Amino acid sequence: MIPAAAPRSVAIALLRFAIWIAPHDTHDWGHAMLNELNHVEGNWSALIWSLGGAGVLAKHAIVALILPGAHRRTVSSASELFDKEGPMRKPAFAVIASCVAASLLFFLAPVFRQAFRVSLAQWHSVFHVKQSFGYPSPDPELDALAKKAEHNQDAEALAYAAVRYPDAVQRAHLADEAVHLDPNLTWLYAVAGTAYLSPSEIDRRVSLLKQWDPENGLSHLFAAQKIGATATYSKGFPLGKLEQNPSWEKEMDAAFQSPKLDNYLDRQNQLDHRVLSRYRLDDPFQAASGEERYGFPNYGVWECSLYAQSLLESGQTLEAQGDRKSAFEKYSAVARFGQMMSIDSELTFFMSKPLKGAYSRLGALSQTEGNKAAAAFYGALADQVDKTAERERALLRSRFSGSEVSHWNAFLVRLSGLSILFCAALLLLCVLGVIVRNHSLRLRSLHPSRLTLALGFGAAVGSLLSSAVLFVSYWPYSELLQRFLSKGDDSGMSELSAFLRDAQHPIGSRFSLGTWVVSSSMTVFYFWFAITILCALALLIAVFRHFQTRQRAHLPA
Amino acid sequence: MKTPRLSPQTLRVLERFVERPTAWRYGYELSRETGLKSGTLYPILMRLAKYSLLETKWVTTEDGVPPRHTYRLTPNGVELVRSTFANSRVSARSALKVRRPAFSGGKA
Repeated sequence: MIPAAAPRSVAIALLRFAIWIAPHDTHDWGHAMLNELNHVEGNWSALIWSLGGAGVLAKHAIVALILPGAHRRTVSSASELFDKEGPMRKPAFAVIASCVAASLLFFLAPVFRQAFRVSLAQWHSVFHVKQSFGYPSPDPELDALAKKAEHNQDAEALAYAAVRYPDAVQRAHLADEAVHLDPNLTWLYAVAGTAYLSPSEIDRRVSLLKQWDPENGLSHLFAAQKIGATATYSKGFPLGKLEQNPSWEKEMDAAFQSPKLDNYLDRQNQLDHRVLSRYRLDDPFQAASGEERYGFPNYGVWECSLYAQSLLESGQTLEAQGDRKSAFEKYSAVARFGQMMSIDSELTFFMSKPLKGAYSRLGALSQTEGNKAAAAFYGALADQVDKTAERERALLRSRFSGSEVSHWNAFLVRLSGLSILFCAALLLLCVLGVIVRNHSLRLRSLHPSRLTLALGFGAAVGSLLSSAVLFVSYWPYSELLQRFLSKGDDSGMSELSAFLRDAQHPIGSRFSLGTWVVSSSMTVFYFWFAITILCALALLIAVFRHFQTRQRAHLPA
Repeated sequence: MKTPRLSPQTLRVLERFVERPTAWRYGYELSRETGLKSGTLYPILMRLAKYSLLETKWVTTEDGVPPRHTYRLTPNGVELVRSTFANSRVSARSALKVRRPAFSGGKA
C-alpha cells in the first residue's frame, strides 16, 4: 500500500530535480511552483501540480540545450540574482551523464557484454586479432583452454580443443593426448579428421577406430580416402579410376557392408555441452563452431557415390548375365548405404543419383519376378529420393546462409557496435578538448563551447540508443546459446551459427579470395547513408540558423 | 508594440487580475480560480512577466513556511488588459450588430 504522503514526497523530489536541470533564469519560477506545493490541498493534487511544473521547467531545459548562452532570451525575473543568463551546462551535463551512465549500466548485463564482444568480431579479421568463426587463425581463448585442460588432465576438454584447433600438428597432439587419457574418446580421431596427417599416422588412427568401433563404416571411409589420396598424388593410376584399385575397393566394400554409419556428431555435441558448462565458456563463436562440421571425410563422401555407381554398373552386368540374385544384392547394398547416410547427416544429395538408380533397378527386378507390391514400394522410394535431396539442399542452404532475420540482426549488431565505438571516441574527444581548452579538471571550471556541448550530447544519446539496439538485436541469440548451454538443446544452434557467420564480416564487406572487400550492393547503402547524414547535418544547421537569426520580440515601451 | 499572444487561457488569467488590479495573487490561488493546471498557468505568468505586464514578489506569509511568489499587473499590464477587454467588447457588439439582420430572419 502506498503511504498517504508518498505522492507529495515524489512531487517535491520531482520539482527539485526539475529545478536542478532547469536554466538559471527559471529557477525562481521553479521555486515558486515548489513553494506553492505547501498550499496545494491533497497529496495527489500536489503530485499533479508538480508534474505540470516539472514539465514547464523541462521544456525550458531542452530549449536551453538547443539555444544555450546568448542566443536564448532570458525570462525576466523579479529577483536580481537571476536576472543574468546563467550557463546552460547543467541540463546538458545531466543528460550526457545520464546517457553515459545508462550505457555503462548495460555492461553489467552478461548478455550485453557478450553482444558487445560479438559486435567487435567484425574487427578480428581486419586486425588479425584472433580466430574468426569458420576461418582458422590463432585463438588465445582456445589456447588458454587447451593449456588448462592439459594441466588438469581433462580428456574431454582436450578433445573439445582438438577438434577446434586450426593447426593440424597441434590438433593431432591434443587428440592423441585426449584418447590416451580416455580411450572412450577414440571417436575423436574421426571427428578431428585426417587432413595434413602423414599416411602412417592416418593408418594408426584408422586402425584404432576400427578396433574401437568395428561395426562402423566410417573408419573404412577414412581408409579409402587415404588410399585414394595416396594413389592420386603418387599417380599410380589415372585419376578417376579409383574403382580399379583393389585396396580402395576392399575398404569401400567394407564400408558399404557395415551394419552402421555413425559420424559421432551426437557424441561431440554432448561433449561440447559438458565442456562449455564445466568451464563456463560463454563464447558463442566457440559454442556454435560445432555446427560447421558434418563428420564425414570430405573426399570419402564423393568416393561413396563413385563406388555406388560402380556397384550399380556391376549389378546391371550381373542382371544381363541372368544372375538376378547377385544383382539384387549389389543394388540393395547401394540402397542400404544411402539410407544410412541420410539418417545421420544431410548428405543424401551426394548419393541421390546412385540411390535413385538402385531403387529403380530393385523395382524393375521385383517387377520381372512378378512381385508387384515390392515393385510399387521401390518405385515410390525412387520418387522420394529427389524430393528428399531437394529438401536437404534447402536445409543446408538455410543452415549455411541463414534467414533474413539473422542477416538483419547481424547487421544491427555490427552497426550498433560500430556506433558505440564511434560515440565513445567522440565523447572522449569532447572531454579531452574541454579539459585542454580550460586547463582544468574541475567540473565548475569547465566551459564547453556550444559545438562541444552539442557533439557531447549527440554522442551520449547515440551511445545509449546504440546500446539499446545492440542489446535487443542480440537477445534472441543469447537465449539460443543459453538453451544449448543449460539444457543441451541444439535446435537453435544453426540459426546462431548463421547469425555469427554474418556478424564477423566487417560491415558492408564480403570475404573474397582470402580478404575482405567492399560489396557492390553495400556501395548503394553507403551512398544513401552518406546522403542521410549530410541531410541531417544540413537540417541541424538550418534549425540553428533559424533560432539565431529569428526576429526578437520587443518589449512594450 | 509587440504583446504576448492572448489565448483564451491568458484572457482567463488576465480577467482574474483585472478584478483587483492592485492586489498581489498567488499561483495556486490563480490556478483554482481559473481552473488552469500549473503546466498551463505558469508559462502564461512567465510570458506576461517577460513582457513586463506582470510584476512578481516573494512574500513570507508565516514563520517556518517558505516564501511565496506573488503576482500583480504592472501599469502597462493594466492598460493592455483594459484596452484588450474594451476592444473585445466593441468587437462583440459590432459582431452582434452585423449579425442581427440575419438573426431577424427578414428578407433582404
